[in-house]
Amino acid sequence: MAKSKFNAVTLEMLWTRLISITDEAAAALVRTSFSTVVRESNDFACVLTDEKGLSLAQATDSIPSFIGTVPRTIRHFLKDYPPSALKPGDILITNDIWLGTGHLPDITVAKPIFHNRKLVGFAGSVAHSPDIGGRIRSPDARDVYEEGLQIPVMKAMNGGKIDATLERIIRKNVRVPDQVMGDLYAQFTALTLMEHRVMSLLKEHKLASLAELGREIHTRSEKAMRAAIRAVPNGVYRQTALSDGISEPIKLEMELTVKDDTIEIDFTGTAPQVMRAINVCMAYTIAYTSFGVKAVLAPHIPNNEGVLRPIKIKAPYGSIANSKPPAAGGARALIGHFFPMMVIQALSQALPERVIATVGSPLWCINASGHRPDGSPFASLFFTNGGYGAAHGRDGAQVLSWPSNVSSTPVEMIEQLSPLKVHYRRLRTDSGGAGEFRGGNGQEILFESRAAGPITVAFLAERTRTETAPAGLAGGAAGACGELIINGEPVNPKSQHYIEAGGTVLIRTPAGGGYGSAAKRDKDRSAADRADGYVS
Amino acid sequence: MSLMPADAGTWQQRVEYNPDTRQLHKQSSKNFMAKYALGLDIGGTFTDIVVYDQQGAASYSHKELTTPDAPHLGVVSGIKRLFEGEQLACEDVTRVVHATTLFTNALIERKGAMTGLITTQGFRDTLEMRREHKYELYDLFIELPEPLVPRRLRLEVPERIGPAGAIELPLDEAALLARVRDLVLQGAQSLAVTFLHAYANPQHERQAAQLIAKAFPRLPISISSDVSPQIREYERTSTTVVNAYIKPLAESYLDLLASEIAKLGITAPLYMMLSNGGLTHIAEAKRVPVQLLESGPAAGALAGALFGRRSKINDVLAFDMGGTTAKLAMVQDGAPLIAYQFEASRAKRFAEGSGLPINISTIELIEIGAGGGSIAEIDSLGLLKVGPRSAGAAPGPACYGRGGVHPTVTDANLVLGFLDPATFAGGTMTIDRARAEASIKPLADKSGLSTAELAWGIHSVVNENMAAAARVHVAERGHHASEFALLATGGGGPLHACEVARRLGISKVICPPSAGVASALGLLMAPARVDRVTTLARKLSELDWPAFERAFRAIEHEAHDVISKTITGSKVTVERGADLRFVGQGFELVTTLPRGPYTAKSLAGIRAAFLAEYKRIFQQVPPVGAIEIINIRVALTAPIGRADLKVEGGKGTAAKALKGKRTAWRADRAKFGEMPVYDRYRLPVGSGIKGPAIIEEPSATMMVPAGARARIDRAGNLLVDLAK
Repeated sequence: MAKSKFNAVTLEMLWTRLISITDEAAAALVRTSFSTVVRESNDFACVLTDEKGLSLAQATDSIPSFIGTVPRTIRHFLKDYPPSALKPGDILITNDIWLGTGHLPDITVAKPIFHNRKLVGFAGSVAHSPDIGGRIRSPDARDVYEEGLQIPVMKAMNGGKIDATLERIIRKNVRVPDQVMGDLYAQFTALTLMEHRVMSLLKEHKLASLAELGREIHTRSEKAMRAAIRAVPNGVYRQTALSDGISEPIKLEMELTVKDDTIEIDFTGTAPQVMRAINVCMAYTIAYTSFGVKAVLAPHIPNNEGVLRPIKIKAPYGSIANSKPPAAGGARALIGHFFPMMVIQALSQALPERVIATVGSPLWCINASGHRPDGSPFASLFFTNGGYGAAHGRDGAQVLSWPSNVSSTPVEMIEQLSPLKVHYRRLRTDSGGAGEFRGGNGQEILFESRAAGPITVAFLAERTRTETAPAGLAGGAAGACGELIINGEPVNPKSQHYIEAGGTVLIRTPAGGGYGSAAKRDKDRSAADRADGYVS
Repeated sequence: MSLMPADAGTWQQRVEYNPDTRQLHKQSSKNFMAKYALGLDIGGTFTDIVVYDQQGAASYSHKELTTPDAPHLGVVSGIKRLFEGEQLACEDVTRVVHATTLFTNALIERKGAMTGLITTQGFRDTLEMRREHKYELYDLFIELPEPLVPRRLRLEVPERIGPAGAIELPLDEAALLARVRDLVLQGAQSLAVTFLHAYANPQHERQAAQLIAKAFPRLPISISSDVSPQIREYERTSTTVVNAYIKPLAESYLDLLASEIAKLGITAPLYMMLSNGGLTHIAEAKRVPVQLLESGPAAGALAGALFGRRSKINDVLAFDMGGTTAKLAMVQDGAPLIAYQFEASRAKRFAEGSGLPINISTIELIEIGAGGGSIAEIDSLGLLKVGPRSAGAAPGPACYGRGGVHPTVTDANLVLGFLDPATFAGGTMTIDRARAEASIKPLADKSGLSTAELAWGIHSVVNENMAAAARVHVAERGHHASEFALLATGGGGPLHACEVARRLGISKVICPPSAGVASALGLLMAPARVDRVTTLARKLSELDWPAFERAFRAIEHEAHDVISKTITGSKVTVERGADLRFVGQGFELVTTLPRGPYTAKSLAGIRAAFLAEYKRIFQQVPPVGAIEIINIRVALTAPIGRADLKVEGGKGTAAKALKGKRTAWRADRAKFGEMPVYDRYRLPVGSGIKGPAIIEEPSATMMVPAGARARIDRAGNLLVDLAK
């Protein structure tokens, strides 16, 4: 290899600058977007790629759903729109779930960046739109057509001009057209900011393109990732997980092979896709699976193409981990959030001290709608989380969002916004998996409806069967499984329910698994647990 | 401040820039009619004492080592030393203003009082469950802040208030007293009470406070409707608990300090600097000490605003680089920006979201892990990384020769010739260039660069880190860094300022005189200030206007009560604001409102103010009609004393100020070259210095890059123009 023109200093500064550009764009997107999903949950990403669509830098705070997805979508864009078909001011768009992130509300856009009339890279962004038409978020949809508007790969902006037809179609298909278009423009603003910053960076450092810089970033990241993998003993590590499924549990199978400096992860044996919206597209599988690898082996290497190169991920086409059209995917998190945990469990066989026991995830969500006592309609969406897994040397945190990063809604806000009274929101005593290090407790929340008439409630809820409870590690016990109880009776969490005024919903989120044998727990820690009532 | 050695002892400094005028100043200081304002700023390493002579518009200052275990001792000995040295009389002091990091440190070190918490039945875990959010996505072993109150000291009582303030379940008084007794028996020394929806109706919390005060008269009580009456139970509880945690310390310390100062013969009132840059009287400070957490940095930002204004530059980024961190505050239209929430005691330093949320108005400020002691290393990717790990003051940079082996920013600056071993820290300590080179060499070898190139790399990387943090911070507030001037203070500020400015597209750098004690001077320029807030949570279109006006009047009345006990006979300015949002949004925008009183006719003006602010920050206004008003706020300010500062330049010509030449790194040529070195305080007003040049003063060094021009202006500031 020819001697690089970059050294430890120049590369550090240019790389820091690229990441800072995506972070600045992320700050601008958060500021200008209207969606609370974007703002409160960081449900978006800003990415810079080279001219081939290979990622150079990604904003630091974007959630794992988007690792590698925007660059992959850009490479799909390039198939339909080769460089000769692109010009300054163009912006490409799609929400195709198989080319994008696996569900329709995520809209990916990308803007080509030109320097001296040559295509040098792309500014890309994906964000969760406030609405995309179709059914309101629930696992009920049978195929993607029920889930809303599909935007094919096309130009949203042509030489700086919006495609008026596209805008009219989007406006006609969504419930809050102004907000949806407002958010799209926020994404455009972020793209333009990245475009300008990259152009001035190239000028300032007298670079003709991003190609050499990209090569250097990729080579170094790949090398560091390979070194991290080489530290794991060679072997084939198998892991099975069960999710609640719709009417019966769904089996997920993973075979993780470490060979020298590569990792191959194969989902062969995983259950086929289903007629509900919990199917996962390959892009989402890759994102969350690589997140698991990265979190264990190399949390500090910045996200880019090079990091992903030593990791191969395969899943049978038509399985629930690699769905084929027209499978619905709106609630894909219910399956996809299992994947990083499976990677961690698999790697625990080789590196028990570098991992955590199973977390009480995926996230839970409560969707309630109906009428207030004054007759006005309401529709509210609240998120909540389970307990965190224990690890060697430390107890699991009580309730924490993982692998995603979604904040809970304050009780005072819930009561201000909807006719629900929250009787308690507290830790679930004894729910964390016992062990030398205790799993984090889940939580329990009791809602009472004070609406005028019946209200409709739907949920995202997982790990509600004994067999799907979050597993312990190294002899630690499993955390308690989740429970969903309406008017005192356990109910099917995947269906919609109607609740009369005065009716109650009790949510108990799953707890984290324990680590090590409970018999070895330090006596002072046990006494403190009892004094604090974490354990009865 | 670790550029200052910990054992350098103490020294005094006058803000007198021409040695020829020294006698003149001294005489005026002993003027028979003298009236002095006294500022006391206790930092981690030094306690700055500054006296401002209101007639002579001169100031005197002194640095005393902080005495962390009994901070009043350093204050008292510092005052004595300065007053004796300058022959000032204690009885001529007309006011005393105090800022301290004592409370922040108590929080970080978890040295506050054992605190108990009483909550509404069903919600004692709010404090521990937080918002369930991670500040770092990839760290499986993420450290979360430990709750200040362990679960065994968090107890519940039956009571319930509804979201609109209606009492749904009366307070169970017997249960309350039983729980408090339980907490006291467990050893609680301070108590916080947070009931659900107490912002909407404080009745139960007040009732509880009265009952507890009667039964346990010596137990300090903090109730949430008093400390931070704002919706969102976690943040309100967190703020109230922090207040309770430091309250016993605040009460004992402030009483002690006041009596010790009185013993010196200073009878003037003692004011406390608040986090928001205003002053208040001691009783208010003791009542809600959580307002004091950021008093030190607030004084620094005020000083930044003041020195900028003196050069008629009203929009500045106040950049203070010390030993372990750099701080950055935004000053707009001559005043520091105010934030309404901040974080204290972060579990992971510099990681936003890892601390305890405090919903109290404060000077907007970021802290960056970049200082003279920041350590450089080559990481697993072969990249040069600088900070946030710091060698601190002990062992300190390698060049201190105190056992530090890791190369730091200070070592790099020494190797580059930016620092002069002979004059470092006013010549009070020796630094060793050979040690600095030896510490950097392994990194240079590893990356195939010369020692000097790598040293320049360290200097550049730390600059890029600070610029990157500044860029995002400024962008988040809807501005571009290039709209500001950069005002540099702290030991390292002037050394790095021009390069940081260039990276931010800033063309003007300001270096105030005597940067080392500027922050203490800021104390003496502050007005009295009282902020009050309360939650409404109503749609703007559904407001009951007379009730709305009454709500404002109520908090204004309360604030007026406090400010009139702080200062009398001064003109009070009232500013109304509100936290507004479009219906459906998850966060609010704090908006300054038109002046009251309000009637139904005020709707259009309030709406327009919100839309204008929204557009300014977010560029576009979403096409949504309905607006909600979550909180209303008032800020009352009243000036205390005046604050001119006469600063004179040197006499003669720039040539007279030339101390000599030094070999230093020239970035424009990527090699060492000779540079003129000037004594800042001998530079006359106006004469231009062309870069590259080095301008020195006892506590700081300004590097003027090639192509830039520097001059002292009439205000005594050193201005550097980087424009091409």
